[in-house]
Amino acid sequence: MTAPTATGTPATTTATGTPSAATSVTPTVRQRWTRARGVLLALVLLIAGALALAVLRSGDQHGRLDPRSADPYGSRAVAALLADHGVRTRVVTTLDQARTAAGPDTTLLVAAPDLLTDHQQTLLHTATTASGARTVLVAPDTPSVGRLAPGVTADPAPSYDTALAPACALPAARRAGIAETGGIRYRYATTAHGADACYPADGLPTLLRVPQSRGGDTVLLGAPDILYNERLAQQGNASLALQLLGSRPHLVWYLPSLADASAAPDTGERGFFDLLPSGWLWAALQLFIAAALAALWRARRFGPLVLEKLPVAIRASETVEGRARLYRKVNARDRAATALRTTTRTRLAPLVGVPATQAHTPETLLPALSAHLHGDARPLHDLLFGPPPGDDAALVSLADRLDALEREVRRP
Amino acid sequence: MALTGRTALLAALGSLPVGLWDAGWTGLLAVNAPLALACACDYALAAPVRRLGLTRSGDTSARLGDTADVTLTVTNTTRRPLRADLRDAWPPSSWQPGTETTASRHRLTAPPGERRRLTTRLRPTRRGDRQADRVTLRSYGPLGLVSRQGAHQVPWTVRVLPPFASRKHLPSKLARLRELDGRTSVLTRGEGTEFDSLREYVPGDDTRSIDWRATARQTTVAVRTWRPERDRHILLVLDTGRTAAGRVGDAPRLDAAMDAALLLAALASRAGDRVDLLAYDRRVRARVQGRTGGHLLPALVDTMATLEPELVETDARGLTATVLRTAPRRSLVVLLTSLDTAPVEEGLLPVLPQLTQRHTVLVASVADPQVAEMAEARGSVEAVYEAAAAARARTERQRTAEQLRRHGVTVVDATPDDLAPALADAYLALKAAGRL
Repeated sequence: MTAPTATGTPATTTATGTPSAATSVTPTVRQRWTRARGVLLALVLLIAGALALAVLRSGDQHGRLDPRSADPYGSRAVAALLADHGVRTRVVTTLDQARTAAGPDTTLLVAAPDLLTDHQQTLLHTATTASGARTVLVAPDTPSVGRLAPGVTADPAPSYDTALAPACALPAARRAGIAETGGIRYRYATTAHGADACYPADGLPTLLRVPQSRGGDTVLLGAPDILYNERLAQQGNASLALQLLGSRPHLVWYLPSLADASAAPDTGERGFFDLLPSGWLWAALQLFIAAALAALWRARRFGPLVLEKLPVAIRASETVEGRARLYRKVNARDRAATALRTTTRTRLAPLVGVPATQAHTPETLLPALSAHLHGDARPLHDLLFGPPPGDDAALVSLADRLDALEREVRRP
Repeated sequence: MALTGRTALLAALGSLPVGLWDAGWTGLLAVNAPLALACACDYALAAPVRRLGLTRSGDTSARLGDTADVTLTVTNTTRRPLRADLRDAWPPSSWQPGTETTASRHRLTAPPGERRRLTTRLRPTRRGDRQADRVTLRSYGPLGLVSRQGAHQVPWTVRVLPPFASRKHLPSKLARLRELDGRTSVLTRGEGTEFDSLREYVPGDDTRSIDWRATARQTTVAVRTWRPERDRHILLVLDTGRTAAGRVGDAPRLDAAMDAALLLAALASRAGDRVDLLAYDRRVRARVQGRTGGHLLPALVDTMATLEPELVETDARGLTATVLRTAPRRSLVVLLTSLDTAPVEEGLLPVLPQLTQRHTVLVASVADPQVAEMAEARGSVEAVYEAAAAARARTERQRTAEQLRRHGVTVVDATPDDLAPALADAYLALKAAGRL
């Protein structure tokens, strides 16, 4: 029925000139543009607003503790001061670089020790203790401090006073005087002999120097404030920073980065994707493109759904069924029995010659019935006019007996 | 624009060279850029859908249950060959459930400047008007990679008429009518009140019809013959209120009532009576007046086609007033409504005397075979309760019918299949009794 019939008649232009444009309901490019431009404008405004907001609110934490950054929280000022004193600062971003750079004449500053993985921290600690370098750890917290400086623990309650007095014998601290080291407080175990505990807050030091073998040492700094461009000029910050970082001719500034391959757990096993030739990863990407195209193919509807008002679908017998369920629910055996008996009596009356008006009077119906059946009227009275059945089984049997009676009367 | 499966397949096959060559982004570009270019060319070469010419012709009406063929002529006015899939969308009830997709889709190819004719076959499942929705076309390019998709609105309406399934009863009822009319050789005397002629007595004639005055003038015994009245007025009233919406079997009560009304109208118009139709719930829904002969049935069927039950209570008072206005002279008012107790007792009974005073009233109602089935249910407690509820419902219905009969109303209560012949019989009985 769907076979197109080829008529082959060439259409004359007069016959088919105009109706095409009249029947087409697809919006033209111009109509689409008119319809979409409001949304597009709103979208452009939204994106522009988001970009503007991002630029304005990008925050000053950008380039935090980076010796190349001139932001308030950068550390370019320290690096510049150190350069004036002949200390060369070198920025490294991977653990391997940091490990090879560490030596007796270097200071290794770890800007964010908490960002290192457990494995990296262990490696770093091994490298620094073996090299004899000074390691400055900026505000390491609980889990990392145990690995980078064994025997030291960080106190979970940080101090809220920023400017603290040195109160120790460390020459650098004494010369610097009051400095802003308040932040994380450290406890150190008694095993670490010769450690300098400075700038105490509530009895615990916020600057800790733990000597290591081969002339090296580890300095734990409770807060990074003394390195910030913004805070460098405050109190004795600059003095402390220069003395801590400028004790050796080379400063290696380690900024941990996500691109560091050593951050990946080196388990020795190679995953499925490592074993796969890289070409097939690209092939998978191409397959993904194909899947997207297939989704577009299947998602395009062949015209919209057609709407139609549906008629109501109520069964006419619904009220009767509802009544039956109600009877069942309240066990209305009396009502049900009355209904069944009334119907039977109405049907029996004309069969035995009793007018319909007297079908429900036992005095008229019963004698006529018993005469017709040549039987006793007593069981008939119980059946047709008796009390309501006592239980469900009696009701079922009543219905059956009424049927049997009717069949018997109808039998010729 | 719409993609095809071929594009996705090519893109999937492209993953092989990408994987073997292993050239990263270059490999991806080397596969996808030619694909995109091919798609663009394909799109550009596909015949534009907007400039196609579409017109319709074909059936404008069909009986419910029959098919209607609607032809769509697609003219390719572009200069490119047209290869397209076409969807001729109609409301879902235009087809049997499950066949919509195959029935509405067509594939066509038309060289430039030629036209093709496609036939969509509708098989509606309900009465009423079916209006064509849009025609959606997908015009494919020569490579079959992408298609241009567009739609045309080509209006067309197919009116689905009531099936008039009871017309199979018409010949037997007409034969019965001819007997009444005395046109056959059978000596059935019409009990009409119109004097027809005198004829000789033959044994078997009713002795009460002997005309003694004429007998005295002749040597033989003469009997008077009457013929049924002609040119009586019959008003069919369809109640389209909420009770007509209830479904009996698969169709609403209204459909069964329409069927019965159509048979009665066909019979009465042959019998020489005038038939009018009124559909009413709270206002006049439809009206057919003053049509005679061959124009009556088409007018009735056409009017009934779009009639749907409304979910409102019928205003019996307004109905009576409208009937009295519509039929000022003595008529037979056939009220096709329901015998449910509440609507009849509260609505119809109080106003019935106004109708019976002037008119002969016949009330026809659609009974539910489901209720009869339930009344026979036995064996379990649920079944007996159902039987009791059904028995109660039928008793109430009989009582309502009895109340109506007491007002001199003829009541016909039958299942949908039997209603039309039962109503026709009741009409013939009234005609034979000369009560029209």
